[in-house]
Amino acid sequence: VRCQLYSPQRALQVSAVLRRVSDEQKKEPLASSSQQQFDSHPADHQPEQEPQGPRPSYTGQGGQESEDYESEEQLQHRILTAALDFVPEHGWTAEAIAEGAKTLGLSAAAAGMFHSDGSELVLHFVSQCNTKLSELLEQEQKLVQLGEAEKKPTDQFLRDAVEARLRMLIPYIENWPQAVSILLLPHNIPSSLNLLTSMMDDIWHYAGDQSTDFNWYTRRAVLTGIYNTTELVMMQDSSPDFEETWRFLENRVADAMNMGNTANQVQATGEAVVQGLMGAAVTVSNAETSRAVR
Amino acid sequence: SVRGLAAGPETHFGFQTVTEAERREKIYQVFESVAKKYDVMNDSMTLGIHRVWKDILVHKMNPSPGTLLLDVAGGTGDIAFRFINYVRSVRERQLQRKLKHHQNLSWQEISESYKEDKLKSLGDSQVVVCDINKEMLKVGKQKAQHLGYSEGLSWVLGNAEELPFDDDKFDVYTIAFGIRNVTRIDLALQEAYRVLKPGGRFLCLEFSHVSNPLLSRLYDLYSFQVIPVLGEVIAGDWKSYQYLVESIRRFPPQEELKAMIEDAGFFNVDYQNLNSGIVAIHSGFKL
Repeated sequence: VRCQLYSPQRALQVSAVLRRVSDEQKKEPLASSSQQQFDSHPADHQPEQEPQGPRPSYTGQGGQESEDYESEEQLQHRILTAALDFVPEHGWTAEAIAEGAKTLGLSAAAAGMFHSDGSELVLHFVSQCNTKLSELLEQEQKLVQLGEAEKKPTDQFLRDAVEARLRMLIPYIENWPQAVSILLLPHNIPSSLNLLTSMMDDIWHYAGDQSTDFNWYTRRAVLTGIYNTTELVMMQDSSPDFEETWRFLENRVADAMNMGNTANQVQATGEAVVQGLMGAAVTVSNAETSRAVR
Repeated sequence: SVRGLAAGPETHFGFQTVTEAERREKIYQVFESVAKKYDVMNDSMTLGIHRVWKDILVHKMNPSPGTLLLDVAGGTGDIAFRFINYVRSVRERQLQRKLKHHQNLSWQEISESYKEDKLKSLGDSQVVVCDINKEMLKVGKQKAQHLGYSEGLSWVLGNAEELPFDDDKFDVYTIAFGIRNVTRIDLALQEAYRVLKPGGRFLCLEFSHVSNPLLSRLYDLYSFQVIPVLGEVIAGDWKSYQYLVESIRRFPPQEELKAMIEDAGFFNVDYQNLNSGIVAIHSGFKL
């Protein structure tokens, strides 16, 4: 994370493209992580040109003019979002990013800000999908809390969550194999793994998982397995509306549930066996005792 | 401050102190005299490695067809020719991909698309080579003719501190081994900012500072003992190459140049060291 402290001289040079955040907030949901620290400058210095809209109002001396302008990161997000429209035609590549930049009125050279292998585009898309999924699950949870919907059983919940998330891939399913291979590049693995595990966390959280023991790991590992295998099936599924994929998903979730039951059964059987043995031991010792007494 | 009869603010020419006007004049003379042997000298001084540096610069640029490039201090055209080659090969790949998708078009449609694509083998890309020195441009034009470059190439006489172009015109601005010779670097950077389109990229390839002490000593030894001698032997001009070596030492190091580029208004400014800092590529975006 780069700490951006600009000299007052720089703050005077109004950027050609970075937009006023007030325009941004209508479009951009993810703005929280970016830093927008410009040095404050005295209230009597006015910027020479305004890109658009009224002059920013200063909060007085020592106030920060910065909140009005978006950061480079936000601009980069905007470019990547615009680039997604061009993925079906150009794939997950720097060309798609260049086209995206052009729709925002920027030169195609702006794509030079990103890796030439399209990594950031894929990661941006995955991150966006995960955010959408979280919002969806949040809304569903609210409905349940308000009593307007039934709480789903766990297997149904997991199936619906994974299906909703995978459906977001449908517009890009032709190029998805390429995206997966990009996500598996060594320099991308930390980020892609991070995104995957936090998505699994999210789903289990909304499924009502409160475990703090080893189950926590098992559940996530199992769900990750289900998600990844279903994703692979989806990539070569040609049935109408991916029916085969959803059936596959249903079966995998059912297996996972059964596995849980089997584990319980094993435990119950074990307990029964132990009790049997205990009982036998007590009977034998009673018999011995009574014989000894006689 | 009062300087009496001095012609203007003082600056450096190599390790000498001169006025700005004198410096411009002296540098002009340096390049006027070395122009014809410029390429040969580059090869012998850097043992041919300058070609790799320039390749890396264009590769980093990764231009797509349709890009408008301004190559300042482009003199003998090295960057311009590489740009044209790169764009041509990208274009060819694009056309091949398009043809694969054209499997079910009629013959007429296919032949029409061939015709229109033939005319655009560069895909509308263009490079403008701008240099302050007439001799360097002359050598560049001759080279272009000799190597067969004509399409998408133009040669303009101009000063980096005051470019003869409109605002917001170019996609990429490059200056390879030229910014060191500009007297007012800040003006050149401001001009670069001005003529670039929003989203446009600034790329600067220049000799820089070596931080590794051992390498630095070897480099100094080579620079001060070998290069002027080569200059005398190959180009018959010791003093110009003495200037060259001294100007490299006088040039701001990586971080300082980065700060200057940021001051001009560029964002996302970064640099990449080549050969441990003997050369560095600085990149910034007009956002």
